[in-house]
Amino acid sequence: MPVIKTQNLTKEFKVFEKQPGLGGAFRNLFNRKAKKVLAVDSINLEIQEGEIVGFLGPNGAGKTTTLKMLSGLVFPTRGTAEVLGYTPWKRPIEFRKAFSLVMGQKNQLWWDLPASDSFFLLREIYGIDRKKFASTVDELTTLFQCRDLLAQPVRELSLGERMKMELTAALLHEPKLLLLDEPTIGLDVVAQSSIHKFLEEYNRSRKITILMTSHYMRDVERLCSRVVIISSGKMVYDGTLDGIKKRHGNEKTIRVLFRKQVSPGILPGLQASEVRGEELQWHVSREEIPKFISHLAGRDDVVDISIEDPPIEEVISKFFQSQVIQAPTLPAQVES
Amino acid sequence: MRYLRLLVSFARISLMGELSFRVNFLLKILVEVLWLGILLIFYKTIFSKSSSVSGWDEYQYLFFLGAYYTLEGFVETFFLENCVEFSELVRSGNLDFFLLKPIDEQFLLTFRKIDWSTAPKIFLGLGLMSIGAMDLGITFEPFRVFWFLVLLFMGFSLAYSFLLVLTSLGVWLVRNQSLMEIWWLFTNLMRYPRSIYQPSWALPIRVVFGVFIPALLAVSVPAEYFLGKSDWSGIALLSISTGFFIWLSRWFFFYSLRHYQSASS
Repeated sequence: MPVIKTQNLTKEFKVFEKQPGLGGAFRNLFNRKAKKVLAVDSINLEIQEGEIVGFLGPNGAGKTTTLKMLSGLVFPTRGTAEVLGYTPWKRPIEFRKAFSLVMGQKNQLWWDLPASDSFFLLREIYGIDRKKFASTVDELTTLFQCRDLLAQPVRELSLGERMKMELTAALLHEPKLLLLDEPTIGLDVVAQSSIHKFLEEYNRSRKITILMTSHYMRDVERLCSRVVIISSGKMVYDGTLDGIKKRHGNEKTIRVLFRKQVSPGILPGLQASEVRGEELQWHVSREEIPKFISHLAGRDDVVDISIEDPPIEEVISKFFQSQVIQAPTLPAQVES
Repeated sequence: MRYLRLLVSFARISLMGELSFRVNFLLKILVEVLWLGILLIFYKTIFSKSSSVSGWDEYQYLFFLGAYYTLEGFVETFFLENCVEFSELVRSGNLDFFLLKPIDEQFLLTFRKIDWSTAPKIFLGLGLMSIGAMDLGITFEPFRVFWFLVLLFMGFSLAYSFLLVLTSLGVWLVRNQSLMEIWWLFTNLMRYPRSIYQPSWALPIRVVFGVFIPALLAVSVPAEYFLGKSDWSGIALLSISTGFFIWLSRWFFFYSLRHYQSASS
C-alpha cells in the first residue's frame, strides 16, 4: 500500500483584489472583487514506503499548499488523497500521531525555553512512553551530535542548531512519514550536509518515508532518488534526477586549456561561449561531441580537456522555464 | 486524566517561561494589586455617601467584587493570553503546528499557556469574599459553599464561552483589537450586580445582556445565591445559558477552524 496516494488533488483559493488608494479602500468595504486562483491543479501522486522524494518547483508553484493538503491543514477543492491510509483533512488523532511536518521558515519549539523542555511537553502531547522517549532522544541527539545543545534556550541557538532541534522534536513520536518544507533554508554548507547525513541514516534505519521541498539542488542530489516537479500548480515531471538531465540536460560543458591565448572562433562552426585567458569554454550537444573532439585531435597546442555535465541548477531552471504556463487565473467574479 | 497531566505540564512550562523574565512578572503583579486598590477606594467613596446601592450594602458589594475578581482572575490566568494570541497564530500561519498535534484543538489552544502573573488576582478575590462574608456574619456552611462554587464555575464557563466565540472570530478578522474591546465590555457588564440595570431606561441592556447574551449573570447569580438574595429564575437561566453557550462556542470554534483550513495558504 502506498504511503501517499492522491487523485486529481486540486486547490483553488479565493483572493480579494484590493483597489489602491483611499477611495479604493472605501469601495472595498462594500464591493470586493473576488478572484479564484488555482494553486494546485489535479495532482496525481503515489509514494511508496521508505522513499525520499524531492518536491521541486519555482516559488508559488503550489508545493507548500500540496504539503498542507497532505497533512490535513488545508481542505482541497476537488480530488482525493490517502495518506498512511487516512483521509488527511478529516484529521483523525491516529493520523496526526503518524506523521510530522517540519517547515524551515517556522519554528515550533518554545522560543525562551531549552529544547529539552519543549521535548518534554511533546512527550505529554503525543503520550510517548517514558522509557521509549528517553531512548529516542538519546538516539536522535547522538545521530545529530547535538546533546550539549539540549539545555540551551532555543533563541540562543544558531539557525543550523535550531533546525537540528526542530527535526529531533518532529521525530520524537517516531512518525512513519516526514513532510519537510525547505528544511535547509538559510543554512550554511556544513549544517546542510549534517542534516543530509542525518536524514539519510534515519531513512535507512527506520524506513521512514520523506517528501521534501527545497530550492537547494544539493539537498535533492544527495537525498532524493526520485523527483517530482510542479509548475503553476501542475505536475510536470515525476522520475529520477538523471531523467531530467537526459530530457533537458542534453548539453555538455567542454573546457579546453591551450598553451597560449587563441581566438574564440578557433574551431570552425563552434563559437566558444567563454574565454578565460588561455582557457576556452563551449556548450556542446551530445551529438556534436565526436566532431568537436576530432577538430581538437589535430592540434598540438592543447594542454588539457574536461567534459562536464552542466550544473543541476541550470538544468532544473531550464525545466521550469520550458514549462511556464500562463498563471492559471479563472475569470474574475464580483462578490457582493 | 491525560488532559489533566497536560494541563500541569502547560502550567510548569509557562511558569518556567515567565520566571525567565522576572521583572516583567513582578511588575504585572504590582499592577494587579494597584488596580484593585483603585477599585476599592472608589467603592469606599460611594458607600460613604449611601448605605445601599441597588439593594447591595457595602459588605455584600465587597463579596460581589471578590467573586468578580476570582472569576476574572481564573479567566485571565488560564485563557485570556491564549485567546489574544490566537489571531496572531492565524496571521502568522503558526496555527498549523497546533492543529497537527494529536489532542483536542480547543483544549490545546485555550489552555496552552498559563499566565501566572494574574494568578494572584484569584487569591485577592478569595480574600475579598472572605472579608465580605465574615463582616456580614455569614457562616460557611459546606452546602452553601459547594453550590456557590458550582454556580461560580458555571459563570466562569459562561465567560470562557463568550471569550471562545470572540477568539474564533479572529480567523476571519485576523486583527482582533476590536474583539478584545468587546471582551472588555463584557468584563464591565460582569463587574456590577445586575440589579443596577433595574431602572426602565436600562431595559435594553437588561434584556440583551441578561437573557440573550447573559454576561450579567456570570457573577451576579453566584453572589446573589451566597448572600441569600437569589431567585430560582436567575439560577435556572444561568444553568441553561451556560450549557447552551458551552455547546455553541465549541461548535463555532471548530467551524472557524474549518474555515481557516479551507482559506489558509
